[in-house]
Amino acid sequence: MILLTALIIIRVKKMIITNNDWVLKKYGDKFNIVYVDGTFKDVLITVRDKLHLGHELLTHPLGGSVKPSETPYKSILISDEKNNINFNSVYMIENAIITYHKFNKEKLKYLDEKRIEDLKLIDLTVLESALNK
Amino acid sequence: MKLELGYIHIKDIQFSDVSKVENGILYVNKEEVKALILEDQNFQKADVDLAKPGESVRIMPVKDVIEPRVKVEGPGGVFPGMINKVETVGSGKTHVLKGAAVVTTGKIVGFQEGIIDMSGPGAEYTPFSKLNNLVIVCEPVEGLKQHEHEKALRFAGYKVAAYLGELARNLTPDEVEVFETPTLTEGLKMYPDLPRVAYVEMLQSQGLLHDTYVYGVDAKQILPTMIYPTEVMDGAIVSGNCVSACDKNTTYHHLNNPVIHELYKEHGKTLNFVGVIITNENVYLADKERSSNWSAKLAEFFGVDGVIVSEEGFGNPDTDLIMNCKKIEAKGIKTVLITDEYAGRDGTSQSLADADPSANAVVSGGNANEIIELPPMEKLIGHVEVADVIAGGFDGSLHEDGSITAELQVITGATNEMGFNTLSAR
Repeated sequence: MILLTALIIIRVKKMIITNNDWVLKKYGDKFNIVYVDGTFKDVLITVRDKLHLGHELLTHPLGGSVKPSETPYKSILISDEKNNINFNSVYMIENAIITYHKFNKEKLKYLDEKRIEDLKLIDLTVLESALNK
Repeated sequence: MKLELGYIHIKDIQFSDVSKVENGILYVNKEEVKALILEDQNFQKADVDLAKPGESVRIMPVKDVIEPRVKVEGPGGVFPGMINKVETVGSGKTHVLKGAAVVTTGKIVGFQEGIIDMSGPGAEYTPFSKLNNLVIVCEPVEGLKQHEHEKALRFAGYKVAAYLGELARNLTPDEVEVFETPTLTEGLKMYPDLPRVAYVEMLQSQGLLHDTYVYGVDAKQILPTMIYPTEVMDGAIVSGNCVSACDKNTTYHHLNNPVIHELYKEHGKTLNFVGVIITNENVYLADKERSSNWSAKLAEFFGVDGVIVSEEGFGNPDTDLIMNCKKIEAKGIKTVLITDEYAGRDGTSQSLADADPSANAVVSGGNANEIIELPPMEKLIGHVEVADVIAGGFDGSLHEDGSITAELQVITGATNEMGFNTLSAR
């Protein structure tokens, strides 16, 4: 007898919070994207506010070892749907905000175009390592 | 599994017409090395230089450091799955050019990391200042993408290291060390009264410049698994990780993993070293949950009393570290964690991006935010103009006289989280 097994793939619908226009350009029509016209910190704060509304954090807010003092770009994945507040998510984003404040952001003022492109690429590849999960 | 490491001590490195090792001197034919690098059509130009202990030399930006080794007996070749077939390594005999290394440098992206000073205060902060280094500087062809550039440079390093390692094939080692790990049941019978201990090694795995490879597989694709400690000594784990110079594990660190070496020293005396569990550090939180579940499950399955966990990198890996700790402790297994700190310039800020009360035995590799002054060096190998944008550097960090003011994190290997270096905290 042939046994038919129904495969149910549970895939959380994702929302991207980013200030990286490369992410917006590449995934704008595939994902729900909140584009933040602002700093790394503005992205963290936007994510925090979403988590307070019941969205869940899907990627670590400090994904990648490129530090907030080295890059102005950050893309974070959260769940598209809202549920009860996930306190692990809130704990993680609060810790990320504390960590952000430890770094001197002075040298970000002096980025040239080539470096900006590289940093956008790094942010994009770190995000992509999680996008198709 | 049993491996014999034969060390050939290298006291000096020199260029010569013929590549060879004689009386502890490593002679290198520069043109042969260049030709080897340029076999890869992704490079248009290659240069090779020497950097010896005590010289007024600064190497930057460093990508990887690799120790030359060659397998002389037993299956497979060094760096399996990369430059040799995917044969299980870790048994037989391997010769090592101890005291020598290949250092790769290159500007893969516009912001860069990694300084090795061969003398002065900076040299104190990196173990690689004590080695006789062959430094390779490669120029990619126009328009080469960052991913391809990274890969080409990584492979150039392995190839040159294997080329040098080959010179040791027919030599008689100055010193021999034997490492052996029995099967679980044999080990249990041999030392029934000693505490059983495993090592959980975390591997950085997050994307471009953040990757590690196990037998050629990108570590972000693996489920945590076990590996014999001697496999690591033959290059089963290699680094493709160029971010976070101070606390990334270079290929040299993997080959010489100090946690493994120390556990072997105590094996049969104070503890029973069962083996190594390797796990990854992915960005996706569900991956972190799955991998830490798995490492805890493997620790339980091995029936160990304790584990040592080593981290790699900064920020999100702190979460993997704490997840591993919490879940392994919850199974009644004691943990000791090795990490480093980003505690701010004065050292008073919270050190890690995550914490838990069960993390009550932690070894620090030092504070990566500490400010250091590096005096000018007479000779620079690599790309000096990147100093201002090197990680931990800041505007004005490169002074007119060539000196550098920067955070400790610019130095390759300074706060290594395997405990390879000498910095710590009490």
